[in-house]
Amino acid sequence: MHTARELWRRLTFLLRRGRFDREIDEEMRFHVEMRAARNREHGAPAREAERAARRRFGNLTHLREQSRDAWGWTRLESALVDVKLGARMLARNPLFSVVATVVLALGIGANTAVFTVVHAVLIDPYPFPDSSRLMHVHARHVSGQNQGTGYAEFADWRAQTHAFDEMAIYPTTKSMTLSDDLGARMIPAGVANASLLKVLRVDPAIGRFFSADEDGPKGPRVVLLAYAMWQRRFGGARDVLGKTLTLNDGPYTIIGVLPPRFVFPGNRTCEVWVPLQDGPQFGRGQHQYAVIGRLKPGVTVEQAQADMTAIARRLEAAYPETNTGWRVNVLPLAAALAADMGKPVRVLFSAVVFVLLLATVNVGSLMLARGSSRRHEIGVRASLGASQARIMRQMLTESLMLALASAGLGVLVAVLLLRVLVAWTPPALGLEAMVALDRPVLAFTLVVSLLAGLAVGLAPAASASRLDLNRALNGGANSWSGATRRTRTLSSLVVVEVSLALVLLVGASLLVKDFATLFDTETGVHADGVLTFEVRLPPARYPTAARTNVFYDDLFARLRTIPAVEGVAAVSSLPMGGQYAGGAFQIEGRPLPADWMDMRTQYNSVSPGYFRAMGIPLLHGRDFDDRDGRGAPLTVIVNEAIARQFVTDGAVGHRIRLGRSPSAPWMTIVAVVGSVRHNGPRRVADNQVYWPFSLEAGRSPWIVVRSSGDLGALAALVRNEVRTLDRSVPVEKVMPMRQVVSDSLADTRLMASVTAAFAAFALLLATVGLYGVVAYSVSQRTREIGVRMALGASAWTVRTSVLRGAAWLAAIGVAAGLPVAFAASRLMASVLYGVSPHDTTIFAGVPVLLVAVALAAGYFPARRAARTDPLVALRYE
Amino acid sequence: MPGTLYMLILQTLARLGPMHGYGIALHIEETSADVLTVEEGSLYPALQRMLVKGWVTAEWGQSDNNRRARFYRLTSTGRRQLSTEVSEFERVIAAIRRVLEPA
Repeated sequence: MHTARELWRRLTFLLRRGRFDREIDEEMRFHVEMRAARNREHGAPAREAERAARRRFGNLTHLREQSRDAWGWTRLESALVDVKLGARMLARNPLFSVVATVVLALGIGANTAVFTVVHAVLIDPYPFPDSSRLMHVHARHVSGQNQGTGYAEFADWRAQTHAFDEMAIYPTTKSMTLSDDLGARMIPAGVANASLLKVLRVDPAIGRFFSADEDGPKGPRVVLLAYAMWQRRFGGARDVLGKTLTLNDGPYTIIGVLPPRFVFPGNRTCEVWVPLQDGPQFGRGQHQYAVIGRLKPGVTVEQAQADMTAIARRLEAAYPETNTGWRVNVLPLAAALAADMGKPVRVLFSAVVFVLLLATVNVGSLMLARGSSRRHEIGVRASLGASQARIMRQMLTESLMLALASAGLGVLVAVLLLRVLVAWTPPALGLEAMVALDRPVLAFTLVVSLLAGLAVGLAPAASASRLDLNRALNGGANSWSGATRRTRTLSSLVVVEVSLALVLLVGASLLVKDFATLFDTETGVHADGVLTFEVRLPPARYPTAARTNVFYDDLFARLRTIPAVEGVAAVSSLPMGGQYAGGAFQIEGRPLPADWMDMRTQYNSVSPGYFRAMGIPLLHGRDFDDRDGRGAPLTVIVNEAIARQFVTDGAVGHRIRLGRSPSAPWMTIVAVVGSVRHNGPRRVADNQVYWPFSLEAGRSPWIVVRSSGDLGALAALVRNEVRTLDRSVPVEKVMPMRQVVSDSLADTRLMASVTAAFAAFALLLATVGLYGVVAYSVSQRTREIGVRMALGASAWTVRTSVLRGAAWLAAIGVAAGLPVAFAASRLMASVLYGVSPHDTTIFAGVPVLLVAVALAAGYFPARRAARTDPLVALRYE
Repeated sequence: MPGTLYMLILQTLARLGPMHGYGIALHIEETSADVLTVEEGSLYPALQRMLVKGWVTAEWGQSDNNRRARFYRLTSTGRRQLSTEVSEFERVIAAIRRVLEPA
């Protein structure tokens, strides 16, 4: 109570702060005058009376300060003065302020953007209550070749576990055709089973989630809307419950709406959610799901692991046919995600930390160089009684103001950068839904900016505190020792810049080279000049294979009439397109394999002309044609990997069959084609079997079109042809095959492009830094150079001496940076596939580049030095 | 002795009623018979601190010779403070006296 009133009195002081000095002065003057009058009454002469009164009173200024201090606002006031002064100094030199703010803002913005991703992926990826208790329950075969859980096993786990409160299938996404007044289009749909929300401990925004009986294969067609979709399409109306959506041509009843932030890393942002029912085969031994579970209270990860291992053993004993060799791992969900996406994110974060360090050092040296022109001002302030601490505080205030301005600008930079980052990752990673510039991220930005501000202000503040007053005031900028010391500090800062730039350049070069190498790897297809897209036939309009085949034949015929088109074909799952279908196969006349894992192959159905259109070499035999397909003898084409099984007489003419069943039909091999890296350039091609497209065309194939013309124009024509043929068929994912290959390397591409941008920025800063320090030292050495030239040194000698200095700085920076770059590249080894972490070209090329850049940066100052007129230089004395 | 100045000011205001700084200084000087001559100016920071504490309030008024002066007035808090200061002071003085008096 007492202190509250005191605080109030202190606050009201602020209102009369303005007249405080006047009033206290008046009061004190009154006192002194009254005392002087009294002295005169006692007979002192007027002047003596006055002087005695003053003496008796004490130091007026000091007492006024003390009186003011009593109210406790002095610190704040002097801070305000610092801020005002700082603003004036920054405004006086706008070019410096703008450059420094922008450089720092780029550093801070890049850090904020990347930290947003770090936060979303590594720190807080699952926005659900108590998410640290969520586990990834992961089945894998001991051979390491297969993984995933079947629905039957999942049901067993749920029934038998003692460690988990509840388990659910980790949501997946699929494309569904949404038909409405606007036509048909494909939308991403989440697929979940009934227990998901119980595991996550969230409730639908309105309505209810799926019930257990809706999971099964013949369950009722129900759908939940994603929150954003509900807002956008239905304006958030509550009466959507019970309405229907037309998905894949059938009616789905809306039963609820999910909460706003319902996202799963690794999944696209879904518009609707449907039950499991459509996708899976519910039999045993189908390994297609990931499972999440919520630990019971008090149960540790180890206990859960033991529980699941016991269950896996029981299943192995009960179903040796399907479950032999299957093990289960339990690990925290966040850790599972970090294992997946963590590496690229860590690489980016390390790179961005280097960028910020570099920006800080750069701005720090700018401040230091500017400090030399401010020494006179600082000297004046010091001689007027400002303490060293006060001056240091002033310098730090300035740099903190700079840092805060940069933080504001940095947030804008971060918003833009995040957009780029998200655009550079394929939507399937689901990054867009995960990242948010929220409070923890902004707190990070603030802390980073303040630290950067302190670091930036440290050098000039220290140099100001060492200031020799006499020299500062008399000698101007030409005092020798201060200048040499400053040149030395600036030089060491620029050396640091060069070494940081070296590390970034080496890292970026490794990643870029890695991407380029992987991209150019023999993927097995000739991607140039190929356009791909996906069509999806509505089942209601195309109920039979006969109908779909008519559509495809018509479509191919139409597409072939487009000028410059050289080939058109269909394929069920596009290489590197992210889809995979596969299973076991048997070779006629060979005993059944002991381990079926050796006899796995990828399946694909292709139409005649596919291999030519995709540039896959036909090594033996013949392509599919009219002789194959419905009603014809069963034929297949295999790739080289399978053909190797027939060493003696070649594969063509032999028969194989798909699956393990002894009753599956034999199919005759009619050709051998080159292997394709179906799962991306990083994965070695596995066995591949192709069968005729017309045999089992399906309703959602990829179409590939080879053209010698412009693919952008072709894309429009293709859309047009499909629309003319049937308006209700959506065309999706129209893109060049090169893009598909590139997207399959999205993580490397992201790391490469972002670090390359950072490295370019680093190189720019280092160049500017080098230029700055060389120019500064030349300006400081004008007299020395003048003396030398007067003594007969040629312009050439002067120029090379300056250039040699610049090259030395770069060389020292390179020498200091190389060990760091070496260590960094070793840490990067796990993300590099196509390039050695110690790639000699890069480790030799980057230092050469930096020295060359140093020479270029030194060129203009060197030329200026060489033109020094000895007379003018000496006249400075 | 630290804090003595506060006590002297409080005591003066208690005896004289509202008074300006110069009057307070004069009174302290007269009653203490020049024994306690403080640096007069230090009265003012002390008065400001007492304002913060709420022991006194200040108001501008007319001095005896018709000049504008700031008058300080004791508050009830100030009065309470005076009595604690006085008793504390007397306790200390008594202790000193006990030490100095021959046994």
